[in-house]
Amino acid sequence: MKAVRGKYFFGGVHPHDKKAISSACPLEYMPDPEVAVISTAQSLGKPAQPVVEVGQEVKRGELIARADGFISSDVFSSICGTVEEIRELTGAGGAPEKFIFIKNNGKTDTAFLPPLSSPSAGDIKARIKDAGIVGLGGAGFPTAVKVSPKTPVDTLVLNGAECEPYLTCDHRLMLEKTDEIVRGARYLATALGVANIIIGIEANKPDCIAAFEPYEDIKVVILKKKYPMGGEKQLVYVTTGRKIGLPPKLPADSGVVVENVATAFAVCEAVELGKPLFERVLTVSGGAVTSPKNIWVKVGTKLEDIVNYCGGESMPPKKVIQGGPMTGMALANYDVYTHKTTSGLLLMTPAEAAAEEPTPCLNCGKCADVCPMHLMPMNTAFYANAGDFEAAAKYGNTMSCIECGACEYTCPAKRPLIQAIRKTKAEMRKLMAGGQKK
Amino acid sequence: MNNTVVISTPPHVKSRRTTRGIMGDVCIALLPSAIAGIVFFGYMAFVIELIAVLACVATEFVYYFIAKGGFAKKCKNAKSVCISWWKQFDLTSVVTGLILALILPVTAKWYEVIIGSIFAIALVKMFFGGTGKNLVNPATAARVFMFVSFSSLTSYVAANFGPVLEGETLTGATNLADFLLNGNHQSALSTLDLFLGTGVNGSIGETCKLAIIIGYVYLCVRQVIKWWQPLLFIGVFGLSAVLLSGFYFTPYRFDISLFLPHILSGGVLFAAVFMFTDYVTSPKGVYGQLVYYIGGAILLALLRYFTKLEVASFAILIMNLIVPLIDKYCIRKPFGYVKVKKVKKQKEGK
Repeated sequence: MKAVRGKYFFGGVHPHDKKAISSACPLEYMPDPEVAVISTAQSLGKPAQPVVEVGQEVKRGELIARADGFISSDVFSSICGTVEEIRELTGAGGAPEKFIFIKNNGKTDTAFLPPLSSPSAGDIKARIKDAGIVGLGGAGFPTAVKVSPKTPVDTLVLNGAECEPYLTCDHRLMLEKTDEIVRGARYLATALGVANIIIGIEANKPDCIAAFEPYEDIKVVILKKKYPMGGEKQLVYVTTGRKIGLPPKLPADSGVVVENVATAFAVCEAVELGKPLFERVLTVSGGAVTSPKNIWVKVGTKLEDIVNYCGGESMPPKKVIQGGPMTGMALANYDVYTHKTTSGLLLMTPAEAAAEEPTPCLNCGKCADVCPMHLMPMNTAFYANAGDFEAAAKYGNTMSCIECGACEYTCPAKRPLIQAIRKTKAEMRKLMAGGQKK
Repeated sequence: MNNTVVISTPPHVKSRRTTRGIMGDVCIALLPSAIAGIVFFGYMAFVIELIAVLACVATEFVYYFIAKGGFAKKCKNAKSVCISWWKQFDLTSVVTGLILALILPVTAKWYEVIIGSIFAIALVKMFFGGTGKNLVNPATAARVFMFVSFSSLTSYVAANFGPVLEGETLTGATNLADFLLNGNHQSALSTLDLFLGTGVNGSIGETCKLAIIIGYVYLCVRQVIKWWQPLLFIGVFGLSAVLLSGFYFTPYRFDISLFLPHILSGGVLFAAVFMFTDYVTSPKGVYGQLVYYIGGAILLALLRYFTKLEVASFAILIMNLIVPLIDKYCIRKPFGYVKVKKVKKQKEGK
């Protein structure tokens, strides 16, 4: 359908998107790693339980860990090989995760699920669960839970905003796999029983907008280039005009389900080819990498191999980031293995990465002006620094924060606002849990 | 990868804007007014501006040197202390000094300016914790302090902005006084004179409105202040002043032609652009700011009407003091907030 402009939302920032570094690089396959080290914690919720034993031979796409509980997802082997060991390691986030080490034996056997032809809603839901599909935007919420909402829904919103600077993986995927994404979206719509499919694409990707316009059943919404346009609440408001309530309200409570375009692509492959989710597109970018690329990477690839595949470092990086620069995680070394949700690997030069010392707060209120959730980050930071987390949560409305990082981006005093917000959230969760026990 | 990578919470990219940059922008925005002051009032205006800025920076430096960490210890490694002072120096004291000089009349004595600067930086700013912690605008507080303390200022301000003292030899336009006393809008000065500041007596930086407007445009372009803030203030102030000056006539008359003379007289424009918009002492969040600017404008109009004096500084001080209250009660609701309907408690059965 002809593209239309989205609504306006207050707040947000305009970081330099730096997408030109890698947006022209077509998708390419990275060779399989020698050893795939696959974490069992691939989604929100509980980690999966390993179902393979040491010494067992597995094929590509074979189930190696089963979902444990409602909010959890299956994990599949991304290569052919032998299970070498299963042990706990410290994950990139600092928490211990159980990893399954699979040694590559060079074979290319696959153990895919049977393809479905003209599937029903129930078939698709079951397939999404069996293929271990999670939200590929970053949070990793199991898609199977999302497609069985408790409240009636009437709209499916595809998130093609990719508002994070540097990242271009969704951009390339939308360009090269347009048809698959559309088919995946139709499967999702069938599973949900909705007729409206909306795709929101930021205005800095006119080629993607043009690619989706020919499909008559898909409404293309052009989003103003602004961060965090791809935030769930902002995206739903901009594309449909509906507001999602504060947590624990979900988009489904407003009749909307939001899925990333990469998730739609994964759904299409799972339904048509029976392929479980074991690889994804990853953007390698930043000023300190020799040749930026958008590559298909198997889950469990070591980041060091990815950097070497992209020609190595061109200069010592100041920061190494897994994910996008606004919400991603700064890494201390390359001994980290990719997950289903790893969308980027950025090697930032000293000129790109921010590492200034904080100066006193000016009370300028710019953080409140740019907050897309209309919160008061300076109050949170002020009370959190004083150690009064209850007041911080009360006067800053911290519990509604989506941690997009717009406040800290804009802060002229370079205050560590997100750190204060996360600390406040953690302390408040402890307090709440303590209150329930009593 | 070597071991020099930095680890921090996101975001890993930040805007290039710094506190020093913002304060530098404010200094640039104040320059037209400073130059206009020198043009209209001669070299003494320049001397006062220089003294005020130097005194403010010096006070801040001395305070930094003696406070916290032991004087003797800091004397020993004075060089490194100076370097660390320069690193944290964010031009706020320069802005304070410049604003203070621009809201003083040219008749101020040099030692008065120095005392005022020390008052502004040491007592109003540093004692409360330095940048970002002061309760009231330092320059405004210093001006009020000087206004009630030094006769050279009091008489000048009285002559030019307030009732003409009997036997006072000071000549010059007493437009604002005229206006405030008997609502005489057919004064000696035309609106154009008021706008350009030609032949108008007043504070160094407050007379030339054209220079102030240039500064305002610069601040808006650089997004240091929000464009609507001064406009809202001036609009509300002008309307309330016009409404109030209707009482000069019998019977009551609403005369919109008084709007421009009202807003162009005295220091309203300067206060609206440079003093009310001070980050530290104005509310955060849009609703708080609306309350602040509208309240300040009405308060200033009322004070002017009843005191017959130029009292922009007093209005700013009063509004500054209630900012913590505004901040506490004008909290924005988060995006997507739905008002919880209060369930009426049913009366307990008798």
